[in-house]
Amino acid sequence: MAEIVIVGRGLAGLTAAALAGSSRSGKVTVIAQGKGGLSLSHGCFGVWDAPVPLSALDDLPKTHPYSLIGIASLQQGTERILDLLKAFGLEYSGSFAHNLRLPTGLGSVCRPAFAPMPLASGDLQNAAPFKVAGFEGFRDFHPEIIAANLKQMGAQAEDAILLPMISPPKHRDAYSTDLAALFDDSSWLEETARAWKPRIGSAKRLAVPAVIGLARAEQSMELLQERLGISVFEIPTLPPSIPGLRLERALRSACLSSGVSFIDGAAAVGLVDGRSDGRRVAGLVAQTAGGPREVRSDSVILATGGILNGGLVARPDGHVQESVFDLPVIHTPQRSSWTDSNPWSSQPYSRFGVRVNERMQPVGSDGRPMFENLYAIGGLLADADRSHEGSRQGIDIGTAYRAIQVILS
Amino acid sequence: MMGPGLSADLCIKCNICTASCPVAAVTDLFPGPKAVGPQAERFRHPALPSADASVTWCSGCGTCSRVCPHGVQVTEMNIQAKAKLAAQRGIPLRDHLIARPDLLGKLGGPIAPVANFVLALEPVRWVLEKTAGIARHGPLPLFASRPLRKRLSRLLASKPPEGAVSDTVAYFHGCSANYFEPSLGELTVRILELIGYRVILPPQGCCGLPLESNGLFAAARRYGRYNVSSLAPFAQVGIPIVGTSTSCTLALKHDYRAILGMGGENVEAVAHGVYDIFEFLALRHVDKLRDLVCRPVRMRALYHAPCQLRSHRIGMPAFGILKGIPELSLALSESECCGVAGTYGMKAEKASVAMAVGRSLFTQARESGAQVVISDSETCRWWIAKHTGLAAVHPIEVLAHSLEGLVKEQDGTRW
Repeated sequence: MAEIVIVGRGLAGLTAAALAGSSRSGKVTVIAQGKGGLSLSHGCFGVWDAPVPLSALDDLPKTHPYSLIGIASLQQGTERILDLLKAFGLEYSGSFAHNLRLPTGLGSVCRPAFAPMPLASGDLQNAAPFKVAGFEGFRDFHPEIIAANLKQMGAQAEDAILLPMISPPKHRDAYSTDLAALFDDSSWLEETARAWKPRIGSAKRLAVPAVIGLARAEQSMELLQERLGISVFEIPTLPPSIPGLRLERALRSACLSSGVSFIDGAAAVGLVDGRSDGRRVAGLVAQTAGGPREVRSDSVILATGGILNGGLVARPDGHVQESVFDLPVIHTPQRSSWTDSNPWSSQPYSRFGVRVNERMQPVGSDGRPMFENLYAIGGLLADADRSHEGSRQGIDIGTAYRAIQVILS
Repeated sequence: MMGPGLSADLCIKCNICTASCPVAAVTDLFPGPKAVGPQAERFRHPALPSADASVTWCSGCGTCSRVCPHGVQVTEMNIQAKAKLAAQRGIPLRDHLIARPDLLGKLGGPIAPVANFVLALEPVRWVLEKTAGIARHGPLPLFASRPLRKRLSRLLASKPPEGAVSDTVAYFHGCSANYFEPSLGELTVRILELIGYRVILPPQGCCGLPLESNGLFAAARRYGRYNVSSLAPFAQVGIPIVGTSTSCTLALKHDYRAILGMGGENVEAVAHGVYDIFEFLALRHVDKLRDLVCRPVRMRALYHAPCQLRSHRIGMPAFGILKGIPELSLALSESECCGVAGTYGMKAEKASVAMAVGRSLFTQARESGAQVVISDSETCRWWIAKHTGLAAVHPIEVLAHSLEGLVKEQDGTRW
């Protein structure tokens, strides 16, 4: 029985764990210093920010993660994870043939290939007009800005409206998580729908903050649409982002139901197998509340993310370190060259990271694997500017799938 | 280590802690860990009184620190802030009382039958709530007439044995296994002996955690210093110190250093040498247990990992081991915290919030059809049993039933 330890529980780590777990091939453990950033995510899967996502992938440099895994891995991995999510109550819509055009919380446009149903139904390529609704007292969503910006770019947004909130929190601001919990309460939802009905006027479609339920999101959205008698779609809010939390819940449930275990809250330090002449890793040393504890395993997958996520540590002197095994990091030591003066351009620091081969094994400057049984996936990888490319989730899912495929083969 | 207050500078305001906080999820009285922690910390001057009291709604469950990706010591910061507020406002007699399980055990043990009878009377609980603020529906443990240390006096040892100690384990039973659940302590010792250990009971007092969470830092440190000085000689010669109470072991591992500000070689040695009992078994004896675990345990159970255990940052070792028991149908709790969080749920003014935190767990226990809830912390067990009507047991009790010859049928079971 092969044991796999995955470091990090963002989208890449949880995807790898869910895929490995569902193959039932051995023990899978996820260890992570904090919760991954899914509560900051819109929950959509971006592949490439172009009208036809796959068209751009043919001309990428050889070291780009997409070139290393190949388009087939990207597609198969995405299909596998979408099936798994559907089995755990989260249905996505979209395709690799052309991107969706979804409104953001600022009224700009986001172009993911796949999105959860309640967001995907807000695709701006659907020409039916809609109103943008905010909720009284909910300050993490601004319908006026969204409607004005969308109108300016020619989208069919009508006006912005403010809808009443029944029994909102009294002692502090309402958080998205408060609202999601309220929407999951069907009697509250019924009362709310009655109060809204006269306020939505002639609107045929309604855009609302993405807070319509968390634990029972699918049923809550269905009930709301039924009671209002019109179609409703969601636009992401400021964090905590409920669509990201729904994704995290579904992935974690998928992991737990297939026996994946979690060591939450512990940072990890790499452990090299002394008997292998430095060619293999032996596992990790977990930094627990008491002290260091060894976690041994047959293979280790690093899904620790980039500079913002703790996978890479940028030192004041310009040195960039990989945080678990101190692997070689592709970067330039002159800090002045890390950023481009135009904030909308691709940023050089975004391409810093660990370079891997086609098997997702980190490699040294000679191109050879650093260790036989160590793999790196997701935001830790070099040679991609995931924000600029709109490739964040595609890289997470595709590289996670590829690593698991290699380990299990 | 950077003190909790300074770690506020690591906060990037991502709100991951707020999204995970079990208390903020059920009451708007609590603005959430980020707001009362790294955010409010900037307005707390050591020499000036605290301006905002909303941090008192923090239950201290530790979820925020565990989910923070940037290493902010949110819970630690908030427990210190709560202590400062408590000192400022005066600490009620009730908090002094519920923070001293050892004192209660010493007083109640000798008159156990009377004490247990009286404290089970509803009018008595009503009066206690009205006069002292001890929540009527907060569970009180049953006193045992003979404490563990009397029952197992043959195992008492004030210093490490001479010679080789590789087969020796020191047991930190804590107040609970000593005064309230001595049979759990006895089972633990028998299991360790079955594996081949010589078990000794070193001198020990209350871990001090209830005092700490009620703002009584000076008293907590006194216990801390006593425990460290008695346990350090064992830790220093490499004798593992195992515990069955997740709160005691957390205090020894973490809170002395990170919240009470204790330091030094002995504190470090003890912190590194302490193990939760299942952490210890999972690290060292998985193969041996696989051979020993043989008797089927026919029941449906829900395993709930206490928030205190989660703060050990070791995963859920008991769940992993219990999964190997034949015919035990085991479901996993989806809740971060049962609500009681040590003494939080015992306070009349906090009881309704604690209940609301626990509701999802109680519902899951009912809906899963579990006959028993398994949890590693005594306060969780007492609270869960009270609010679900189900038996709540330590994972050691379940493991014992699966080991040949350890529990006789006539010993009876709690489920």
